[in-house]
Order: sequence, then structure tokens, then C-alpha cells
Amino acid sequence: MASPGPSGTLKKQKEDSFLGEFIGTITRKKKQKEVVDLQEEGKNAIESPSSPTSPDMGPEAFMLEENEERSMIEPGSREDAKVKELIMMLLDWINDELAEQRIIVKDIEEDIFDGQILQKLIEKLARVRVEVPEVTQSEIGQKQKLRIVLDTINRILNLTPTWNQQKWTVDSIHSKNLVAILHLLVTLARHFRAPIRLPENVAVSVVVVQKRDGLLQTRRVIEEITGTNDDIGARFERDAFDTLFDHAPDKLNVVKRSLIGFVNKWLNKVNLEVTDLDNQFHDGVYLVLLMGLLEGYFVPLHCFHLTPTSFEQKVHNVSFAFELMVDAGLPQPKARPEDVVNLDLKSTLRVLYNLFTKYKALP
Amino acid sequence: MDDIFTQVREGNAFHVRVWLDNTENDLNQGDDHRFSLLHWASREGRTNIVDMLIQRGARINATNMGDDTALHLAASHGHRDIVLMLLHNKANINAINEHGNTPLHYSCFWSQDIISEDLVNNGALVSMCNKFGETPLDKAKPRMAKILKDRAVALGQDLNRIPFKDRSWLGYKTRSRDATLSRNAGIDISQLALTQQISNTHSGSVWRGTWQGNDIVAKILKVQEVTSRIARDFMEEFPRLRIFNHPNILPVLGACNDPQNLIVISQFMPFGSLYNVLHEETGLVIDQNQALRFSLDVARGMEFLHTLEPMVPNFYLTSRHVLIDEDLAKINIDDPKYMREGAVNGIDEDLTARINMADYKFSFHERGKLYAPAWLAPEALQRKPSEINVRAADMWSFAILLWELATREVPFADMSPMEIGMKVALEGLRVQIPLGTSQHTTRLVKICMNEEPGKRPRFDMVIPILEKMKLSS
Repeated sequence: MASPGPSGTLKKQKEDSFLGEFIGTITRKKKQKEVVDLQEEGKNAIESPSSPTSPDMGPEAFMLEENEERSMIEPGSREDAKVKELIMMLLDWINDELAEQRIIVKDIEEDIFDGQILQKLIEKLARVRVEVPEVTQSEIGQKQKLRIVLDTINRILNLTPTWNQQKWTVDSIHSKNLVAILHLLVTLARHFRAPIRLPENVAVSVVVVQKRDGLLQTRRVIEEITGTNDDIGARFERDAFDTLFDHAPDKLNVVKRSLIGFVNKWLNKVNLEVTDLDNQFHDGVYLVLLMGLLEGYFVPLHCFHLTPTSFEQKVHNVSFAFELMVDAGLPQPKARPEDVVNLDLKSTLRVLYNLFTKYKALP
Repeated sequence: MDDIFTQVREGNAFHVRVWLDNTENDLNQGDDHRFSLLHWASREGRTNIVDMLIQRGARINATNMGDDTALHLAASHGHRDIVLMLLHNKANINAINEHGNTPLHYSCFWSQDIISEDLVNNGALVSMCNKFGETPLDKAKPRMAKILKDRAVALGQDLNRIPFKDRSWLGYKTRSRDATLSRNAGIDISQLALTQQISNTHSGSVWRGTWQGNDIVAKILKVQEVTSRIARDFMEEFPRLRIFNHPNILPVLGACNDPQNLIVISQFMPFGSLYNVLHEETGLVIDQNQALRFSLDVARGMEFLHTLEPMVPNFYLTSRHVLIDEDLAKINIDDPKYMREGAVNGIDEDLTARINMADYKFSFHERGKLYAPAWLAPEALQRKPSEINVRAADMWSFAILLWELATREVPFADMSPMEIGMKVALEGLRVQIPLGTSQHTTRLVKICMNEEPGKRPRFDMVIPILEKMKLSS
């Protein structure tokens, strides 16, 4: 991809969306229009001091020097189902990570560009502190902050400068370039093994505008955001369970038996008995009780659902059990709570095996 | 702040009462010369304030920098009703100050004749010598000296001069508290000289140290990661734990919020918790009387906590959360029963149980985990604090404490917390009161842990029962 000129992509986009919204608005009923106008005005009023671009820009903003290039995402591409899914998933992930700090991210472009969220995210993921001012209003201040944050990220990701410069820069992120933001977040998610399964082969089509001999020439480029998960699978370490499932299914029963022996040693103390690993852990109840038994505390019964009925209740239980595991110093389980609730045997076994490894010697 | 001493001197009872109601005010603090409020009220003859202070747990035998007790001041200034009130509340009648003078020395010198007679009638020794070898009789006018001498003889006193004995090395003097203790809430971590780790548990690590010359313990809370939100909650919650105005509550002195560490600071208690004293080797012998006094102390502390509005949430009453304080100002050191050789260390009446506010469970701390379910009511194990009657649930915990004091056993000692919690909450597991336990105790435990929370008594109802049991034993 040709490197986007400073903030060129954004300005054009902004113009597009502004126009689109305007045309859309007048066709709606008057009352609705007033509400929307008012919301928009309020939004502008709140955001304008920190927003580096003003929506009303003159045509000079679109002036290109000879041979200069600008690129922007094709409007149809943002509506692509896969792109939308990817964005939703990344937002959910960020919100999960930052929930403790009561940060909620709603819009991937509007909320990421100033570096604030990126700072919190990298601090949480890499357990580092990035020394930057808390809130910055000016564009220069925001960019300085963003540069420090991105430098930190690039260093932690251990990427060669040439590689990431092609994907994201201070200018491209700050100008809310969706493609750059997606590249950055996807790379982060993969590096830190986010407990999400990114949709495969997501690509966006990008329009590149170049001025040649005084004429604007456009071409379309397909930009790949995620490859296949197999492709990146090499970067995950395959754990023993992948090997077990793939190469020695006959040994699986042996592993299951020893895990059953382990959990029953503890659950028997409260008169419970597990016979079937596949089905008896999915609602999270035994996981919660196990944590209490292993770590020496009682979990008040209002903290979880002792007899869960709905999917949400079960997910709550499993997530809660995961929190207790992290509190106990265990690594954040790689499995997602939903996987366990959905009876994914491999996920369940991974979780139990983690417990087994840490506590097997406990009398 | 400081003019509470003026208010006491001038006898502004209303103002004093309001001041005492503020939990952050320490009624045992002293002024620059370590005169306590009780000293000033006794000196100026503010009988109603003396009464109020005693009711609220002022230390009767606290001394100022000249080692005067309140009784010295009341006796020399001729406030008879206060003298009698102090004596009634176990003031040390033969306390000596830095000159070796007893209260009787002063009443004789100032010709407070009736008070001198009262003192002698109550056991004041007429032959105690001060540093200069003078007895109270030497100080009195001849006529009065004769009356007192005759009275002493009639009471069987030995008239041989008792030589002055410097006993300050015994260390039984307890000055009024350093007033700065209650003044600083936020403490800089660099001011704490932390020397030795005492314990390291699930909730945090506890260190000994000194702060402004006071022995303190600092509890560093175990928190996965101190986010700014947690730090904020901490700063909002800890000021409520600074309860200085009740003798049976051990306040949190202050807190440090060093970005990565949340630290709660309180006074050092050499005997540790009631749990330590009852179940571990401490060398202290706790007889039934002392056990009864402890339960009365705890009941009074809890009753006070229950009067706070809103209540301090998330405090769980267990024997680990009650600390044992040694308060020598509580006793009468010259009482003959303490005169035995080496008896000072064998005294137990000076022991006070105090509810340790530093064991409060912060809202962000150990969420979803209860480490001591054995002391919790079944409903507290099952439902949120907002959905139950917390006061009634505390009464259940108190019943377990009474059971512990009676049996000297750890409740459900052979089970893990998860087993205890599940079985108490869902299977009706309860402590068993062994045969041979006194009938009073058995009945009290039973009513305090009534299965129906609404039928459990309140602490203000339990206190008179315990007082009666104490009198009858």
C-alpha cells in the first residue's frame, strides 16, 4: 500500500460521511431530523476541541502535489460483513480488557486515534507504564502522546521499523485511517493472544489516488487485514492438547481419567462427584467450587449461579471462575468462557490441566 | 480542634458531647503536657463531663507529663463528687506523681478535709513518703493530721513510714495518647520505618514499624493490580475506619496510597488477636472471668458500630478481627492483689478486647472470597449484605465468638472454608455446645444464633446479660 499523505485519507472520508449523512438526514421526517441535528451538534460541541479536523474544509485540502498519493478505504468495504464482524470483535476485546478501568470504546476510529485508549490497552496487555500526559487537547499534544505510545507498542511487538511503518504511522492513526487502525489492533490482538477468534481472510479495498502529469489517477488495491488463522497458527505455540487431539486420541482417555481423579479428590470434600468431564464442567459451578477448595476460601453463593439455567448465567459462572484463577496467580486461560459453556472439550481440558499442573501436589 | 480542651475546662457539655460523637476524635488524647480531657474536667470540677468521659471509656489512670492522674487534680482542687466518681471507677488511690506525692498528699496540703477523709476511708495510705520523705500527715494541719491518723489506725493501717520507691521503671504509667495519632490521615510511606514482617496471609502482608515514635503495624493489602479506580475507592473507604472515640474499637490511624501499594496503618498490639490468645501459644492465661470481660468488650464495640449511620459495611466479626490491648491505665496498680512479687506481668484485668478496623474488607479486596465462613451466619453466606439484616448476621458471628471463648476451640477446625461454607449454608452444619458448659453461656449462645435472624437479640440487649453474668461469677 502506498503510504497515505498526512491526513489526506481522513479528510476525504469525513467529507463523504458528512455529505452522506446530510443527504440522508433531509429525507427523514422533520422531527427525526431535529433530534439527529441536535445530537450531532451536541457531539460536535463535545468533541470539537479535541478533534483535530474540522468538518468544513476547503478544496485546498484535496490538492495534491505532483506524484503524491492518497489512499482511502472504499465506502462499500466498511459495510462488508466480515469487516464489521472484525471491528465488533476488536471492540469487544478492548472493552473486555479495559472493563476494570470503566473504559468503554464504541467507535473504532473516533475512540482510538488520540492514543488515550491505546495507552491504556498496551499498559494493561504488557503490564507496563507509559509515561504520557493523561489528557491532551491540542493536535500537537495528541500526536506527541501517540508517538510515544506507538513507539512503546512497536518496541514491545519487536517489529522491524520498515514493516510497521508500512502498516501504521502516527499520522495515519491520528487521521483515523481505518486500515491503519485495524492493522495495529489485529497485530496487538495476535501478539497478546487475545482470547478471540478473528475472522479469517478479511480484506478491504482501498482507493489510491495519485496525481500524474497534472491528472488524478485512481486505482484500487486489496489490502489484507487478517490471513488465515492456520497461517498465523505457527506463531502460537501449539500446546500439548493440540498434539494430543491430533496425534494420540487413544491417550485422551488416560488424560481424562487422571483429571477426573484430581478434581474428585477435591470435590468429594463437598460431597460432589464428577464422572464425565465433557458435560459436567460447562456451567462453571464446579470450576468455582474447585477454586475455593484449592485456594482455601468459600465463595458466597450470591457471587455465582449454583443452579444456572440460561447460557448467560453459565458464561457468568465460567468467567467468574476464570477471574478467581487469575487472582490465584494462574495465567489467564486461553479458552474463552463461551467455548467452555459450549462444551468445547479441548478448552475445558486446557483449563482443568492448568489447575492440575499448579495444584496436583497439594495434599 | 485543640479547643476541645478549652470546652472541657469551661464545662461546655453540649459541645463536648458533639465532639465525642465524632468518630475521628480520640477522647484519650492529651494536650501539650499530656493532660487528658479527664484531667481537665477533674481539675475544673466539671462533674457532668467527667461522668460523660468515664461512660465513653476514658482511661481513669492516665497520667500527664508530671505523672499526675485525674484523681490528683480532683483531690487538690477539692471536687469531692469527682473524687468519689473516680474512686468508684477504680482510680488508683495511691498513685504517685513525679514528686512521689499521692492524691492524699495534695488534699492534706490544700486542707480539703472531707476529701482527705474520703480518701483514707477508701484505702489511701497516710504513711506513704514522697521523694522528700514527707507523708500526707506531714502536709496536713495538726488537727486534721490527728483525725486522719486515728481513722487510719481504726482501719488497721500500719503507721510505719513507707519509704519512697521509684517504680517508674515498672512502666505501668500510661500517659494520655499522643494527640497527633488521630490528626494525620494520609501518611507518606517514607515516614514509616518498617522493620519486621509479622505475617503474610491471603489478604496482605503485615509489618511492624514506627511512625512518629509510636509502635505501629502496617498492612499492605494484596491486590492484583492497583488501578486508579481501586486507589480511589481505597481513599474513599478508609477514612470511615478512623474511629477513635470508643475504647473497644481499634482505629485505623491512617493510610498510605503509594501508587502500587495500599497500606493501612494501626497501633501495634503486642498480644495479637483474640484468635492468637485463645488458640495459639501466647503465655496468657485467659480464665472464665477474662473471657467474660472480652465478650463484654466485643459486645460494646459492636453495639457502637451498629449505632453508626450508615454502618461501616463489610466488617466481618471473627476472633481474628478482635485484637487484645494492654491498657495499664485501666487498673489500680497499688491494689494489694497486684502487690505480689512479679505480679505486674500476671495481671489480666488490664487486657481489653478491641475490634480491629484494619481488618475491614475493602470493597475491591478479595471479591467473591470469604476466608472465615465459620463465623458467618447462613444467610450471610448465601445472600448479598444488602439483602440481609447485617446487624442480625453480626450477632450470629458474636455467638460463634462466645462459643469459642467457652470451648477454647476453633469452630469446625478440621474442615476447609469451602466445606464449612457449603455445609453451614446448605446442610445445617452448626457448632455444638459441649455438655458442661455453663447454663448461662449455653442459653446465650443459643439465642444469639437463632435460625431466624429477626429473633436474634441486639447488642444493646446482650450487654446487660453479660454484665449480670460478670457480676454473678
